[in-house]
Amino acid sequence: MNAWGLAWRTVARNPARAALAVSGVAVIGALLFTMLMLSRGLLVSFRALLDTAGFDVRVVSGQGSMIHREPIADASELAAAIGRLPEVERVALVRTAGAVALGGRAEIRAVDIALVGTTESAIGGVWDIVRGSPLPRDEPAGGPPPMIVSTKLAARLRLEPGSPLQIRVFLPGTASALPPTEGRVVGIGGFRFEATDDLTVSTTMKGFASAFGVVDADEADIVLAASRPGAGSAAAAAAIAALRPDLRSYSNDQVVEQFNQNAFSYFRQISVVLSSMTLAFAFLLVATLLTMSVNQRLGEVAALRALGFRRRRIAANLLCESALLVGTGGLAALPLGGALAVVLDRILRQMPGIPERLHFFVLEPQTVVLHVALLSVTGVLASVYPIWLAARLPIAATLRREIIS
Amino acid sequence: MLRSGRARAGAFAAALMAAAARPLIPAPAPLDLPDILVSRQLAQQAALREGDVVTLAADAAGSGATRFRVGGIYEPTPNPMRFTAKRIEARMHLPDLQALKANKSDPNSAESIGALNIRLVDPADVDAFATAVTDRAPGTSAGPTARAAGGSDPFAVLERFHLAVAIVTVLGSTAFLLALMVMRAEERRETIGIIRLIGVSQRSILLGVLVEGLLIATAGAAFGILVAVATQGAVNRFFQWRYDTALVFVRVTTAIALKSIALSVPLGVVAGLVGSWTLLRRDVVALIRR
Repeated sequence: MNAWGLAWRTVARNPARAALAVSGVAVIGALLFTMLMLSRGLLVSFRALLDTAGFDVRVVSGQGSMIHREPIADASELAAAIGRLPEVERVALVRTAGAVALGGRAEIRAVDIALVGTTESAIGGVWDIVRGSPLPRDEPAGGPPPMIVSTKLAARLRLEPGSPLQIRVFLPGTASALPPTEGRVVGIGGFRFEATDDLTVSTTMKGFASAFGVVDADEADIVLAASRPGAGSAAAAAAIAALRPDLRSYSNDQVVEQFNQNAFSYFRQISVVLSSMTLAFAFLLVATLLTMSVNQRLGEVAALRALGFRRRRIAANLLCESALLVGTGGLAALPLGGALAVVLDRILRQMPGIPERLHFFVLEPQTVVLHVALLSVTGVLASVYPIWLAARLPIAATLRREIIS
Repeated sequence: MLRSGRARAGAFAAALMAAAARPLIPAPAPLDLPDILVSRQLAQQAALREGDVVTLAADAAGSGATRFRVGGIYEPTPNPMRFTAKRIEARMHLPDLQALKANKSDPNSAESIGALNIRLVDPADVDAFATAVTDRAPGTSAGPTARAAGGSDPFAVLERFHLAVAIVTVLGSTAFLLALMVMRAEERRETIGIIRLIGVSQRSILLGVLVEGLLIATAGAAFGILVAVATQGAVNRFFQWRYDTALVFVRVTTAIALKSIALSVPLGVVAGLVGSWTLLRRDVVALIRR
């Protein structure tokens, strides 16, 4: 019988004990797996969110931050200049403001919304159109501003393509409100960056400006650019920076890195702390169980040694026993950890302002590999002391003690 | 707290301004200048000392550049909502900030504020007050400074997250504990058999196991709390160093310690009883058979 067979029989001899040990490893392993998913989850998810929006360079004012942005003046001219760069394929302007939508339902007087003005009209970028059509490229003069509303807002105000919608914006810094602007819903869509507690209305830049009572405003909060295939986002960002040194341009990589350094670092560190603790816990669990198991079987080990089993064979047996416990528990930890990640993700995504499509826990192949590697190392380390205990066992004295007792 | 969208100013006499690209220029001679306080982080970054003269401007172009004397250096009040942000801040008297941010084309800008802190006579009136303010002053929003119980603010969410992680840890520990107790009971199989043979009742043995479990669980819980108390300083120091903040991240309070004991002691005792129960149910002969 080889070491695996012997280890299996040893484990199977005490099924209740083995089941409890495997359960302990599975639960702790699930927590470890979940924390490994958390360590890179936000980054991977955020990166995917940025990439699916269809733009890989973001240009903001030289002052403020990526979140608190100052408006950029002469935005159309800037967009045209950026669009002429050989590294850039297409450009879109974006403006955002808080506003109130005055709905068609009598029981709902007004709801707070995020109003987005954009030159973007492509489907599959910052939004997916569920019903109706995207924003028109050429807006007819004199008509009501076309609007795309999020599915949540459409459901709340019972809006359909063709419905009128009144928007009222507030002028920042003044305690007064402008008269509402009436627009027309052309489409209902899902906004990629919309938070769970947000309701969004998107319109053209002209529609956005008219909501503020001005028609010649030419400002943007952010300029989005898509790099030309082959040029790359870094080259495009560098070209834009050279064109307008007073602005700040970031490739998606740089945006992700900024968030990684600041906003996401807490969760990364929490995951490191909890992963370390779960590993230490798994080590203690397996090491204690194996040590107690060896202590209970000292006579058996001495008998095997007396029969001619080498130290290496005894060590291999214990190592296989550890591998069986940790391996089975570690495998069970994968689906368990996946389920736990879903629950924890649901909890964390209740935070205000988190985009609905952003996830804290993301499964990557490398997470599974790391999980297996960490548990393997833990299993090996945990079996070191019991192996040492069994290997240095004095055969004759142990057998004698066993017979006398 | 009442907010409007004007300047990014804080409340009265607590104006907050992030240093822009150009604004801080230390000069040697202290004059009769308005005082400002600078945060420890800003003082470290710009090598400022009390008495230094600095020039602050509203933007990188130097608009409204004004000279101030550093009257002191302060440790920013820890703000859990902003602990990842570097606190490059200065505090000045509100009129000084309004003058600094004043826009010549907008006469109202010299009288603008970003927020007002208001203490109500009866805190229970907060909702009615907020509604009244929002109705009467469009463009402002009013809300309580107190944290809503069980809401979706980031700390309530984090609390639920930590609670869920704690529950999973307890589940893992329970399985671990049960496995250990089953092994321990198995180890004492013969001893229990002999004790029962000499006439000690099952109830006495069970009571012994109960007391032993209670002692071990209490000692374990106390040890765990001691470890937490001993390591909380290291954890806090690490995160305070990492984020350059005075925020306390971990604090072992009496309530938390009591909760841990209340959870772990019964768990330890029950695990001990479950482990021993299998032996006590067995026949005595089966226990001493080798």
